[in-house]
Amino acid sequence: MLVAQVLINALVLGCLYACIAIGFSLVWGVLNVINLIHGSFIVLGSYLAWGLYQSLKIPPWYVLIVAAPLFFILGYLLQRLLLNRVITAPVLVTLTLTFGLDLILNNAMIYFFKADYRKLTLSPPIGSVSLFDVVVPVDRLIATASALALTLVLYLVLRRLRVGRAIVAVRLDRDAAVLMGVDVKSIYAIAFGLGAALAGCAGVLMALIFPISPLTSSTFLGKAFVVCVLGGLGSVSGALAGGLLLALVEGVGSATIGPAHATTLSFALLIVFLIVRPQGLLGRKGFE
Amino acid sequence: MVAAVCCSAFASSAVADDVIRFGAPLPLTGPLAPEGIKQQQGYDLWAEQANKAGGISIGGKKYKVEIVYADYQSNTPRAVQTSEQMITQDNINFLFGPFGSGAAKAASTISEKYKVPTIAGTASSSQVYDQGYKYLFGTFTPNDTLTTPLTQIIKSQAPDVKKVAILARNDLFPLAIAQEMEKSAKANGFEVVYFEKYAIGTLDHSATLSQMKSLGPQWIFITGYINDLLLVRKQMVDQQMKAPVVTMIAGPAYQEFIEQAGQSAENVTSASWWHPAEQYDGKDIFGSTSNFVKLFKEKYKSEPDYGQASAALCGALFQIAIERAGSLDREKVRDELAKLDMVTFFGPVKFGSNGQINSLEPPVFQIQGAKPVVLFPQAIKQGELKLGVN
Repeated sequence: MLVAQVLINALVLGCLYACIAIGFSLVWGVLNVINLIHGSFIVLGSYLAWGLYQSLKIPPWYVLIVAAPLFFILGYLLQRLLLNRVITAPVLVTLTLTFGLDLILNNAMIYFFKADYRKLTLSPPIGSVSLFDVVVPVDRLIATASALALTLVLYLVLRRLRVGRAIVAVRLDRDAAVLMGVDVKSIYAIAFGLGAALAGCAGVLMALIFPISPLTSSTFLGKAFVVCVLGGLGSVSGALAGGLLLALVEGVGSATIGPAHATTLSFALLIVFLIVRPQGLLGRKGFE
Repeated sequence: MVAAVCCSAFASSAVADDVIRFGAPLPLTGPLAPEGIKQQQGYDLWAEQANKAGGISIGGKKYKVEIVYADYQSNTPRAVQTSEQMITQDNINFLFGPFGSGAAKAASTISEKYKVPTIAGTASSSQVYDQGYKYLFGTFTPNDTLTTPLTQIIKSQAPDVKKVAILARNDLFPLAIAQEMEKSAKANGFEVVYFEKYAIGTLDHSATLSQMKSLGPQWIFITGYINDLLLVRKQMVDQQMKAPVVTMIAGPAYQEFIEQAGQSAENVTSASWWHPAEQYDGKDIFGSTSNFVKLFKEKYKSEPDYGQASAALCGALFQIAIERAGSLDREKVRDELAKLDMVTFFGPVKFGSNGQINSLEPPVFQIQGAKPVVLFPQAIKQGELKLGVN
């Protein structure tokens, strides 16, 4: 029964990791920007959920409706006004810019919200469901389902919508896309906005699960990074695969060789992947 | 350039005439920022009270207190650098140790080199004090003074509790206290069925907790800081883990843990070096414990915890030692600190020959009705141990 519990835990955690990573993967895959502000967007999303629950008792799943457009606008503007200016520069330049933006946003959050840890506690609590002896917390199930739904939405946007096809086209061949009449700058801004919206939504969902503090942003960013390397860039399903693999390695590692080594194990796996399979589990060139 | 250097040298020596400068290297940004800010609040409260009373009096003359802060960004090597800079460039008279055992130990080498009396407000591990240093003092008793009374209370009041599971954050203090817990549990006849460490920054404890649950422990003992313990406690509830006794160190000593954990904090036991419910009648500037709590609440609108209280105590002790020495001579002040034997708002203060305080009886407490209730020591006991954490 312990084995079943550990596997279920990993499955649910894997979807949370995918949820954390999906926006990061999109931006990295399409724009070739390693967006270091991603972790802070997630934390900001958590604060939004926390604030709306504390003040107006709005449960986080409704907050998603507000968070998605708000973060989209924030991301869109950031790309339009700042990142687009350096987007063609070497990757180190965009990395430095997002690093600086992250410092600003993160310290602004420390200033306004303090570094104290907060917790969004639903009352009444939504508890856990159990099947035989296997227990799954309902809030994690909600977050998992929402993560899968967001992933599906992103997949459909990229597949079916005109703007989605344009994003994929820009990723595949920037110059050809320009010749086809695609407004590349605006596509970049839309892709970054989508990435930010996904991060904000992830933050809203994570507020149910993790303590909230600006200091956790680097942990989220670290997980997103590992998930992308493991799963591979360039596909929606890559984030999901990477998240599941990471959670499985951590969970089984914790239960067998002890929690102190779980992180070591996951980073060892990261190195192995970088050497043996740098494109990740499901990596491919375009973003499908 | 030369002129600027001269000016600043003159300025600081002119200032030094009627001001006593205390150096306080603190982690004001980075992961330890919440703790650093708490310590700063303690120092500030003391400085404010001391200055309100006219300052520290030496031979009839009053000297104002000035605290020189520097942010070492939660980076221990930088804490050492900052301490040296304070002594050599900022002309501080005395020093407060940086946060925690690790940084305090590292920085103590510097204060020893320059013979600057230093009081560390948040260093408990005995490894900090076993270096044979003469100028380092600390206001926290060794870690086993927390776990031993706790183990004895559980042993005598919950005789059915036999199996203990211990989970520790892999970090200097949280791990040291978990190891002390393992020792005192074994010494008192408990069976330690689980002992594991988790990495700093762990985002999920579900696998660990599932495994722990399968062993059926009656006493779950977990160490870490507020974020870790909030997460672990939530995941325990998620996994429907119940036990007669759940102990967490060092979260429950903070008001914010109790607020954020809500119902799940109920009946969680803990121990710390000081508690606002204590009732000491001190001879320091704050006087009674209740007066300290009152002053703190007026200034910060929140309940003080042991970190803030200990920082304020460090200042109050320097004040007493300086006034008794009747001079700013570092050697004389150091000797007065070593000789201290008095009651303060924090409890009785007397330093052992290694510089670590050995007179405190750290309180054991339990969260009952969203309030910490002291179970030990007998003299300030407020309630009985309740079993069952759901």
